[in-house]
Amino acid sequence: MAELLNTTDFRAALEDAIKGREAKNASFSKAWANGELSREHLARWAENHYHYVGPFADYLAYIYANAPDTATDAKDFLLQNMYEEEISDVRHTDLLIRFAEACGTTRERVMDIDNATAVTRAFQGWCYAVAFREHFAVATAALVVGLESQVPSIYRRQYPVLIERYGFTEEEAEFFDLHITSDEIHGERGYQIVLDHATTPELQQRCLQLVRHGADMRFAYTKALYDTYVAPDAPVADPEPALA
Amino acid sequence: MPRIRFETADREVTFPEGDEVNLLRVAIRHECGIPFRCASGNCGTDRVRVLHGADQLLPARRRERDRLGELYEQGYRLACQTYVAGDVTVAWDPDQREMEASGKVYDRLRQVWLAKDDTAGSPGSDG
Repeated sequence: MAELLNTTDFRAALEDAIKGREAKNASFSKAWANGELSREHLARWAENHYHYVGPFADYLAYIYANAPDTATDAKDFLLQNMYEEEISDVRHTDLLIRFAEACGTTRERVMDIDNATAVTRAFQGWCYAVAFREHFAVATAALVVGLESQVPSIYRRQYPVLIERYGFTEEEAEFFDLHITSDEIHGERGYQIVLDHATTPELQQRCLQLVRHGADMRFAYTKALYDTYVAPDAPVADPEPALA
Repeated sequence: MPRIRFETADREVTFPEGDEVNLLRVAIRHECGIPFRCASGNCGTDRVRVLHGADQLLPARRRERDRLGELYEQGYRLACQTYVAGDVTVAWDPDQREMEASGKVYDRLRQVWLAKDDTAGSPGSDG
């Protein structure tokens, strides 16, 4: 039976739970960072990514509702995060759509979930289910530590490439610039909430399990983008003969 | 290892050589007391004055420069927007509040909250 981990060991375990599953190492992320994608590929990414991050404030609202009024620090963080997603400045989904339009697609195509892969739809459903059903510390571990805290490491590789190799303007790529820094802070505060409120061995172990699942989901979602949109376009070195 | 000195809190934190770390994230993790509210470079509550090691900070991007305005030229940075690559010392006013809201933020809030005319007292308004 698991024992209660001290704060230092629990934090290390949470960080370890992401290792080996980082979305920055998925095939689509690598191709992006290497400048190997076309604007059409990036448009398809935006059409999918909208359906993962678009409802992020909804996910957080479920977690907020599940948090007791004694968890003031956690509730304040969740509310601030929702506010920043939606109305503190340009709505984050509008920044994403601005990038999508610069890639050549349209707001209508981005918002139409029929343009997302089945894996993206499953990813969105998993986020809703975890937010709705799990203890607030566990859901925070899954969505903030497992997913949101990965963002700076992904976008810090991708943003410079967007400007320098793909030729986007800073304004067109503001979605990425904003999240590099904001998700540093959101991720750190997410760790704090999990460390402070997962106070039993069972809750700690469930947090670790859901961080692993979250990282797995983000990796699978990112890999599916490559498999769906990039691989069919990629040159095949030694193609097998077509079946008769 | 590179060292960040949080002068106002009389605290120092080291980080691995070769890393580039977010200043506010380090401060939060190690409870060094830099005040903050948002994490988007909007509120300006986390402005710090760089006492030493400004050359060890990654250059400010447009969002941070725009928000700080003249303060940027006076040696201030927004901790949430700042990445550190080497030895640096920062200080701040522990009682400081957010900077005057930028016009962009107010415009957005006006758009959201004042979209409906709530002065007419019409039936059905959810005043």
